[in-house]
Amino acid sequence: MVLLKIRNVTKIFGGLIALRDVSFDVNKPEILGLIGPNGAGKSTLFNIISGFHSADKGKIIFKDEEINGLRVDQIASSGIGRIFQEPTLFMQESVFENVFSGFHRRYREPVWKAVFYTSGAREEEVTKKKRALEILEFMDLISARDELAANLPHGRQRALAIAIALASEPDLLLLDEPVTGMNPSETMAMIEKIRRIRETGITVLIVEHDMRAIMSLCDRIVVLSLGIKLVEGPPDKIKEDERVIEAYLGKQVV
Amino acid sequence: MKLPNNGANHKTNRYKLLAIIIAVAALVVLPFCIESGYIKHLIIMACIGTILGMTFSMLYSAGLITLGAAAFYAVGAYTSTVLVMYAGLSFWVALPLTVMISAIMALGFGALFVRNAGVAFVIISLIFAQVIVIAIGQAEFLGGWGGIIGIPRPDSLGPVEFATKHDFYYLILAFLLLVVVVYTALYSSRIGRAWRAIKLSPNLAGTLGINAYRYRLLAYVIGSTTAAVAGCFYAHYFQNITPGAFSGWLSIYVQLYAVLGGLEFYILGPAIGAVIMTFVPEYLRVVKEIEPIITGILLLIIILFFPGGILGTIRNSANVSFEGFDARVKKIKASLTGKR
Repeated sequence: MVLLKIRNVTKIFGGLIALRDVSFDVNKPEILGLIGPNGAGKSTLFNIISGFHSADKGKIIFKDEEINGLRVDQIASSGIGRIFQEPTLFMQESVFENVFSGFHRRYREPVWKAVFYTSGAREEEVTKKKRALEILEFMDLISARDELAANLPHGRQRALAIAIALASEPDLLLLDEPVTGMNPSETMAMIEKIRRIRETGITVLIVEHDMRAIMSLCDRIVVLSLGIKLVEGPPDKIKEDERVIEAYLGKQVV
Repeated sequence: MKLPNNGANHKTNRYKLLAIIIAVAALVVLPFCIESGYIKHLIIMACIGTILGMTFSMLYSAGLITLGAAAFYAVGAYTSTVLVMYAGLSFWVALPLTVMISAIMALGFGALFVRNAGVAFVIISLIFAQVIVIAIGQAEFLGGWGGIIGIPRPDSLGPVEFATKHDFYYLILAFLLLVVVVYTALYSSRIGRAWRAIKLSPNLAGTLGINAYRYRLLAYVIGSTTAAVAGCFYAHYFQNITPGAFSGWLSIYVQLYAVLGGLEFYILGPAIGAVIMTFVPEYLRVVKEIEPIITGILLLIIILFFPGGILGTIRNSANVSFEGFDARVKKIKASLTGKR
């Protein structure tokens, strides 16, 4: 089943063509890698899918609905979660509160009941607390639940960013360089987590420079270079593809 | 699995409740302990200052920094005065009308103002407050720069009168407590959580489905309407209003209440700040002429050296000393077990 359709997406910043006519599908539930050298347009595409930019041409169709041009929060509400490349957390809040903020769109009790703190709202609060603890447990953050997000080491901040996104119950999760800057054992653990996230039915679209991580994790890979889709296919095929090697290393090497 | 109660357990909750009961009881008996009408006046002004400070904090909690906290205070004061003195309405009819009119105004202007939370809003809020003051000053039917005098005190409600300072104090106290209760409920609900989220990271909040614009607007409307009600009470308490009373100075003072008490304490911060800033200058009578200079220096010192304000500074030093205490206890325990 196709969850997300990218169709002929073009984005121009000033005179620079960041993306040109990019098309591909993301199926549910797969782990799709998006790779390419610096400046290939990967982050631009992420920003377009999650609504921080809009495409100048083309369509983004999520669950059979056009989402290009919608606001960030509307796209998030439709079921797309993302983590950012740079650490983006509620730094001055505890780890637990960070995850709790992720539930914003997932309350069933109306908001006025929450303000009046009716018994229904109280019950919901308790289930949400339990859920937050489950998520923290899953991301191995339970021991750090009372710490300020700002005080966590880099690896755990990445894990927390994913924990917050999981709380928002996305159908599609966009991960922007989730293992960059991690040591090998942290990377291994994170790869395992991402696999388990997919097992729960969440589709994952991932941008990453760590080629070993990408090759072992992804079902399929899309390669961008200078804003154009070079090739798409399973990792084995991508590894061998001459166009990909050329894009990364330059013509002379080949 | 033990659920975290956001750091608080039942024991501290019980202490909190006890502290609140004592505080409210103290506020209720306070006027009976005071002879001087002037002190009573200062207490009433401190209550109004607290309410204004809390409206500043409400906007701040949603990531909006206003330099025009006095704008809707003026709107409320003049709206209610016009309704009572020109339209001949009872105060108790004018009050809800003032709430409605200022809420609609806040919604209309806020819809334009809160599109950006950054510097743009800071400057717009400043300009808006100045324009309001100048517009009132230019309006002949609002008394121009000379203002309006002889505004009546609120009409009595059956046997309950509000003619004296003593009686009026209870009116303003009731409103203050209402604001505290409502604001606390908002801050601890998911609305408050969304406000914190858009303040701390608008981008992350967006990816969680939080519409920053709508939540900013909500904070703006609630804060502005509260300020308008405070203005309405002020007009009918002070019984005369001039545009000068709502100048940029007042907005700076309101800001100072929140900053002095502690910006991160949305309820208690403004209360402590307002009480200090209302009473301390009165006892510095000698330097009345240069009081603004002292205020300015005070503001600089707080921002430069105590950015957490009074409460923030106390909390930080308390945390540090607790940590030191825990470390010492551990050390002693370790040395004891070591000997055994």
